[in-house]
Formats: sequence, structure tokens, C-alpha cells
Amino acid sequence: MKTIPTGSGSETSAADLKHCDEAGLIEMLDKVEQKHGFIPRDISDEVARLLEVKLERLRRIQGKLDSTIRRDVQQHVSHWRNEEGNLIMILHAIQNQHGYIPREVAMELSRELGVKLARIYEVITFYHYFKLVPPGAHSLTVCNGTACYLKGSGDLINEVRAQLGIAEGQTTADRQIHFDTVRCIGCCGMAPAMVVDGKTCGHVKTSDIPGQVAVLKAKKEKVA
Amino acid sequence: MKPLTRQDLAQFAAAPAADPAEWIRVQLDTGGIAAGAETVYAALEQARAAQPRPFTLLRTGSVGYSFADPVVEVQAAGMPRVHYGCLTPELAPRLLSEHFGAHRLLDDHVIATRRRGLKLDAPVTHLLVGDTGAAASSKTEFFQFSFQEELKRRGLADRVQVVRAFDMGIYDEGAVVQLLPSGVTYTNVLAPDVARIVTDSILGGRVLDDLLWKTPDKQVRIVLRHCGQVDPDSADDYLRRVSGYQALAKALFTLTPEQVIAELKVSALRGRGGAGFPTWMKWQLTRAQPARQRYVICNGDEGDPGAFMDRSVLESDPHTVLEGMMIAAYAMGASQGYFYIRAEYPKAVERIQRALDQARERGLLGKNILGSGFNFDAKIRLGAGAFVCGEETALIASIEGRRGSPSPRPPYPSVRGLWGMPTAINNVETLAIVPAILLQGGAWFASHGTDTSKGTKVFAVTGKVRNAQLVEVPMGTTLREIVFDVCGGVLDGKDIKAVQTGGPSGGVIPNPLLDTPVSYETLQQLGSIMGSGGMLVMDQSDSMVEVAKFYLRFCVDESCGKCAPCRIGGYQLLQVLDRISRGRGAASDIALIHRVCHAMQKASLCGLGQTAPNPVLSTLRYFGEEYQAFIEGGPSYARKAGKAAAAKPTGATTPPIPVPVPAKEASS
Repeated sequence: MKTIPTGSGSETSAADLKHCDEAGLIEMLDKVEQKHGFIPRDISDEVARLLEVKLERLRRIQGKLDSTIRRDVQQHVSHWRNEEGNLIMILHAIQNQHGYIPREVAMELSRELGVKLARIYEVITFYHYFKLVPPGAHSLTVCNGTACYLKGSGDLINEVRAQLGIAEGQTTADRQIHFDTVRCIGCCGMAPAMVVDGKTCGHVKTSDIPGQVAVLKAKKEKVA
Repeated sequence: MKPLTRQDLAQFAAAPAADPAEWIRVQLDTGGIAAGAETVYAALEQARAAQPRPFTLLRTGSVGYSFADPVVEVQAAGMPRVHYGCLTPELAPRLLSEHFGAHRLLDDHVIATRRRGLKLDAPVTHLLVGDTGAAASSKTEFFQFSFQEELKRRGLADRVQVVRAFDMGIYDEGAVVQLLPSGVTYTNVLAPDVARIVTDSILGGRVLDDLLWKTPDKQVRIVLRHCGQVDPDSADDYLRRVSGYQALAKALFTLTPEQVIAELKVSALRGRGGAGFPTWMKWQLTRAQPARQRYVICNGDEGDPGAFMDRSVLESDPHTVLEGMMIAAYAMGASQGYFYIRAEYPKAVERIQRALDQARERGLLGKNILGSGFNFDAKIRLGAGAFVCGEETALIASIEGRRGSPSPRPPYPSVRGLWGMPTAINNVETLAIVPAILLQGGAWFASHGTDTSKGTKVFAVTGKVRNAQLVEVPMGTTLREIVFDVCGGVLDGKDIKAVQTGGPSGGVIPNPLLDTPVSYETLQQLGSIMGSGGMLVMDQSDSMVEVAKFYLRFCVDESCGKCAPCRIGGYQLLQVLDRISRGRGAASDIALIHRVCHAMQKASLCGLGQTAPNPVLSTLRYFGEEYQAFIEGGPSYARKAGKAAAAKPTGATTPPIPVPVPAKEASS
């Protein structure tokens, strides 16, 4: 390797480069540029090579991730392979696994089934049950079936809105609590009803809401 | 497991397994579990260890008493069989020691039997008392005390126990007393009657004719015949104890498919999903269509908010629905069935899946069923939260894995349905009735009901009703009987305003018309529909404009957007209603509503759009003055109405419970 005429030890700097992150690299390049007025060829070559290595590593990680997704998707698909009209059942399986339907998984599913991505999204977006964004860590769902509506679910919804500062269908900014309303959970005998983290509560009063929300928020502290 | 044969089933029928002598059935359906039935079950199991006498602890579905969840049914030697409601795990040890040990019933938890005796055929051991006036049970304790004193005076105190009932099943009939185990029930009991009842009935064994409640229970349980009786997770229980799959065996070995259809024709069973199309005709049409493959689908996509009949039946009695499906398949020559169930009903899905697995293990599904040469298998397909998928063609599209958009009919599914093959789609309730018809005969079924609507119908009565529950009554029972006699009338003794039937596709029926007997035709004449059987009770505080808006918003949200009348008409209609409810409506809006509704009814592609205007039209028809009041009163009236509505709701009257303030959560 030829040395740079200005006499700075480029071998050492090249060795240092390996341990630099992006910010460090830029800083070093800035220094070199200030010192020389230009970036010497061998340093730029070295940086380019390192970037290549990093990219390669990223690609390998991506590939790993991809193959996990592929394996998952293949597993779901193999279960339903010989069934006609399996798309919705596979989407159910995916949503059960991830809590929502990630875009990469939908893309992989499209390749695996030989169905156009648009067809898959057409189905996902048609049905309320399928979600495209990850749900919060905890969920609070108010039933808005007719029986619950008559018994005051509207007030419950307003109270939760006020307590959480979000509208139904949204998740708090810290992605902890997801608030939603649901058509009917079939527990009309105990209207108005609410589902908190999978547990159904009946005969809910507006005054119960702050307590429920506080419990969920306390859970979050434990998680964090 | 060895596949079952015809002989096995004949043996089960000849010698059905007997009930164990002493048992507790815990009713574990979604509603019960939500109210804590699992914890009650666990507590009972734990307490059982300490119990000297063994008893069987059983898991069943719900008998329908939603208002009293969690419910258990108890059978002990020397005790009347009773339902206990509103149990808690803490009560479990006491229940066991009192009921099994001391032979005493628990106060305030017993649900009186609906089987009302007319003869005192056994010595009285327990006396249920309950005040059935609308204003709480103020006199119950007085009567309990009076009876206790009178019994003490007669030296009977240790022979007869006086129990405060949780619910008597009779309403607004003053103090009601039920003598157990005979079930003789006295109503409007006054203080002077106490001594008479003790002398004549308890000591003398005579029935007091002037007090006797002679009206038999309005309910007839055909669809719900096994609900709360069988273990939904056990095929053996179904097969051995309640003669399960006997109707299937009868169809396979003694009837031709034509005879099965003929039997259904005699029964005049009409589809219970809402439209009321004759079931036999649907099957015949499907059968008549030449094809290499036919399908039968069970529609369990119960999307109506406020209805839970299908969920209850699927969860409480899955094998009956499967048996009905198999008979349908045999009658129309189908070899593949699908259960289409809402994903929101995980318990129902789980239990149907288990029923399918168990049936397959026993050779009741698969090839050459029971050695008859009949092949059939069934699978589950999950819905994904689209109301429109209850519509036949949309449901088929959804099973095929596509968007649930309806397609124009004809061709009807019975001609070209799933994968282009003839398909019959039947409601859960319809299929659950079929085995009963085959076993007991179409004529027996047709003996219930009215001229045009035969048999019974299950309703989920909810809303502002005292006892929200599942009710199964013969067609022709009036709405007033259902709401007042069976379910106890309106909550808090308020005045009833209307009953809504048929969910978002139905309409409201105002108080003066509640004496209408329920049937497909009468409800249609009133501008509503039978629907799948949701029945919402509304009291005077409910604004009909808001109710119409609620249902319409539901339909607008659920519109698939394929055809313009439904997509645009629904949205515009909602805008007009919203305007009116804010007091910004114009007099011409009423005419506009009628025009848009008419267009939607005539031009929409499927039932969703055609029926979406029903709630609006029927509220307008019966409560037009409320719309007028909003239009004439202007914004100030609307604000006042809104405030009045905001002042009444639940919880506002109770003081807020102090809540731990989530301290420092913002910093984490």
C-alpha cells in the first residue's frame, strides 16, 4: 500500500476506521479533509470497502429476517396448502402470531401463494378484524353493540377518550394502550361491557374507567 | 378409536346413560366466563376435596339466564334441582356445605324453576319467596320472616326451609311463593295468606286454588333443548345421555333424502336467519341441481349487535348443530360442509372444532358414516368482522377467500354457490332444529306456532330490560308477553317505549303495537323484520332519532361500497339525520329521507342496503313527532335533548370511586 505524501499514517487510520460508527467516520473524514484539503484516495477506498462490508452484514441480517418470515409464512401456508379459499384463514393465523399483519409478511405471502399483493391487501382492508399496524401492549375495548349503546356505552367511550387522550382505533403515543370499540361481544346480558386485556367486565360505569385506565398504566410501568 | 356403527347408536338409544346421582353443572359460555364462571368452577373443584360426599362437577353451556351469570345448576339427593345465579368463588364452599351437607338452599341466589306444578305431589321441603313488584324486593324479607315464624309455631321449622329467591320468573304479581319440590306457585300472597299456606298446603297437602299460578311457562325449548344440559366438549355425553346423532341414524337408515325433505315440508320450518325462506324448499332446490359436488354451509356470522343466540347455541350444543348439518347434507346430497363463524367468538370456534374432531374420531365424519355409505366432512371458516358477510353471496365470497362483496341474485346459491356448485346456507338455529324434527316428527313441530310461521324462535332480549336473557317461545307469542311475562319488563320500572327487532336491518315496534303476535309476516307488516332474533327494549328516555342514527351509522360503516345506492345513499341519509339531531334540519328533510330510503330499498344490490333504511323509516313512522320536535325546536332544543340524555346515563348518579392516581407514569 502506498503512503500518502503528507506523511500521515494512513495504515493506522484505516485500522481505526474499522471500529468507527457512522458519526465517527464522518468526523474522521472531516478531520482528514481539514488537514489535507482533500480526502486521500486510499482512505476513501478503505471507507468504501468498509461500507461494503457493513452493507453485506446488513444484507445478511436482512436475509436472516427474511428467511424467518419465509419459514413462518411457509408454515402457515403449508397448513392450508390444499384448501381452496385459504387466504383468510392464513391471514388469521398470521394475525394471531404477530398481532397484526406486517407488510413484509404480506409480501412474502404474496410470493408464496402466487397471489398479487393488491389482492391480499384488498382482503385485509375489507375486513375490520385484520390490522395493519401493531397493536399496543395493552388493549382496552369498549363494546358498542346496541344493548351497550342503550345502556350508555357512548359515555364510556367519551370517558376513555378523555382519560387516554386518544380516539377509538388509536394507540397511545408510547404504544402501551390501544383503545378500540367493537360491534358486539355477545355479552349483552351484562351491558355495558368492556374488554380489558382480554378480560370482559360487565355493568361498567363511567366512574370505573379511571380505575381501569390507571391499572393499565401501572402495568406499563412494570413493563418499562 | 373404533368408528361407531349403527348397532352402537341403537345401543345408546336403548340404554341411555343415567345422570350421576349428585352433580353440579357450571354454565361456561362466553357470557358466564366473562362474569367469572371459570373462577366459580375452580373454587367448586377446590372445595370439593373437603366435601365428604362425592358429586360430579360438570361443564355445560348456558341455559340462557344471562342476567344471572354465572349460573350453576345443582342436583343433590333429597333436594329439588335448582339453578343458582350470580355466584362468586367465595360462595362455593358455603354452597357445598349448605346444599349437600345441611340440605339448605342459599338465600338470594336461587332462580325459581319455570316448571310450575299444579299438584302437591311431594311433601314440601323448601319454600321460595320473592317480591315481584317492580321496585326491588322490599317485601321479600317480611314474607320470609312471616313464614319462618308461622312454621316455627307449627313445629315445622326444621322440616321446611324458607328461602329468599333471586328471581321468581313471574313479574308484577306481588309476593310470590313457590313450594319445592312440587313447583306449586302462589302469587299475590298477602300477609293473611301465610297461615293458610302453611296449614293447607304444607301440612294438609292441599293446593290453594285462589292463589295458584296456573299459567304455564311461555317458553318452549326446542332449539335450546340441550343448552345447559350437555357438556359441549364431550361427544360421549351427547351420544349416550341425550340420544345424540339418533336423528342422523334415523335419516341414514330409515329415510330416503326425499323423505327427509318431505318431513321438513310437513314441519314447515322456515329459515331462522331472518328472511324466513322455507328450509325444505332450499334443500330441494339444491338437491335438484345436477352437480358433482354440493355444499352445505352453517351461517354462524351473527353480526347483529345485541344478538347472541347463535353464539349461545354453538357454544352450548355444538354437536346438535353438526348433526343438523349432516342431515341437511344427506338430504341434499352434499359431501362437504362449512361452519362460517365470527372470529369474535373464539369459544364457539373452539367448541365446534372440538366437536368436529370428536365426531371424526368416532367415524361420524368422513367416509362411510356408520356403515351407511354416506360420506361427509365439515370444516370451520372464520369470519373477519364484516356484517355484510351474513348475506349469502357475500358469505360465499368470504369462504372463497375474497372480499365479502355480495353479488346479484339470481343465480341463487342453491344453483351456483360456493366454487360455482349448488350450496345451501342455513342458520345455526335452523340446523339445531332439524334433528328434533326428525326424531319427533314434522307434525309435532308444526303444532307450535301460527298458521304461516311454525315452531319456536329464540330471541336474545336485551337493552333496558329487567332480565336480559335468551328466550325461546312458540311463534305467535306477543312481544309484550316476551318482554313483560318472560323477561320481567323494563328496567327500574320505567315505561316501555318500543322494542327493536331484527338489528340494523329491522325496525322499532312502539308500545301500542306490542300485542302483535310474533311471526315473519306480522313483523314485516309493522315495518320491521324477524331477523336473527335480537330484541332490544327501549324505555322513554331513549331518543328515537339517536337510535335511528346509531343503526344507520352501523350500516354505513359496514357497507361494502360495491353499489352506489347503499354506499352514497347511506352516507347522505346519515348526514341528514345528523343535521336533524343537531337541530339544523329543515321541514323538507323528512321528504328527502323518504326519497333516499326508497332509492336504497329499490336499487341496492343486497339485503344490507335494502334494509338499512328500515330503522329510519320505522322510527319515522311511529315516532315522527320526535323528528318534528328536533326540526321545529332548532339547535336549542337539540342541546336540551342532548343534555337530558347526558344526565340520565349509568354511573352518573353514583359517586365516583376514588382511584389511585397514576403517579409519575409520565416520567417512565
